[in-house]
Amino acid sequence: MHELSIVDAMIKQVEREVRESGHDGHVVHLDIVIGRLSGVNVDSVRFAFDLLSPDTLLEQSDLRITESKAVCLCEACESRTEIDDFVAACPACGSEKITFEGGQDLFLDSIELVD
Amino acid sequence: MKIIVAKKILKANDQLAEENRARFNQANVLVVNLLGSPGCGKTTLLEALLAKLDGRAAPAVIEGDLASSIDAERIEKLGVPVVQINTDGACHLDATMVAAACAEIDLDKIDLLIIENVGNLVCTAGFDLGEHLRIVILSVSEGDDKVPKYPTIFHKSDALVVTKTDLLPYSNFSVDRVITDMNRLAPKARILQISALTGEGVETLADWLANQCRRDGG
Repeated sequence: MHELSIVDAMIKQVEREVRESGHDGHVVHLDIVIGRLSGVNVDSVRFAFDLLSPDTLLEQSDLRITESKAVCLCEACESRTEIDDFVAACPACGSEKITFEGGQDLFLDSIELVD
Repeated sequence: MKIIVAKKILKANDQLAEENRARFNQANVLVVNLLGSPGCGKTTLLEALLAKLDGRAAPAVIEGDLASSIDAERIEKLGVPVVQINTDGACHLDATMVAAACAEIDLDKIDLLIIENVGNLVCTAGFDLGEHLRIVILSVSEGDDKVPKYPTIFHKSDALVVTKTDLLPYSNFSVDRVITDMNRLAPKARILQISALTGEGVETLADWLANQCRRDGG
């Protein structure tokens, strides 16, 4: 459940960003990106967010999560296939001579404050 | 009003990890983050490794556990400087904890720092501590299917050590399967097979780390 410390760090980071922007409004929307291969579970992030956001600038905020895809590169058929999880073989030709690219993201995209 | 941030969520941890790494580089200390599940033999491997360094590197150890100082006491018996971190329930170490532990270690007197992370194949993967090498351990008794089942941690490791190889004759563990899976997830990673109990393979790991220390000017 490392998502708890990730969300805790995220909430502190959002509050800092809001403070540094010179505004003090409540956060309405929060957009974050979590890579499919990052090892961070989206449901656990939502659970941790519900647990940790009360009494912060993010209480009742709409947390919008974009899950960035990863690519499976195949040495045998030279294909690039979008994947949602680590795979054991190339989805196109079945070869095991594959490597992975992307899907490791974990970032804060944007914060929308009440006007 | 919208603020575009586009920054990593663990930026605070990553920044501190970079500061740790800069400190380690300045002191010419090679830092290893040792990962693996509870009971895979991290501390036993560490004891065997420290004994085999034979003065080729001056080591220190940071032990991470939820509670107790059992591991630190084991390392202390070998005469190696050791600091125990208790995470009080947290399932992984982070860069802040390592920075605090380093205040207890004289970095100028060592050239190899091994950080034994909390036993966990999931949560430890996402936290950079400022290390140079990540070594993940998989013991024979855990089964040969763990690499594809916990892909993130293996994908992010520089080396895999298969431990408890003395148990191979009594199990259906396929080292070939692990090697195939690891080559796919981390093609550049080194794969070593070790039995800390019999000592087989420990020398190879000790040689490798001692040479890395020298390369880093440590």
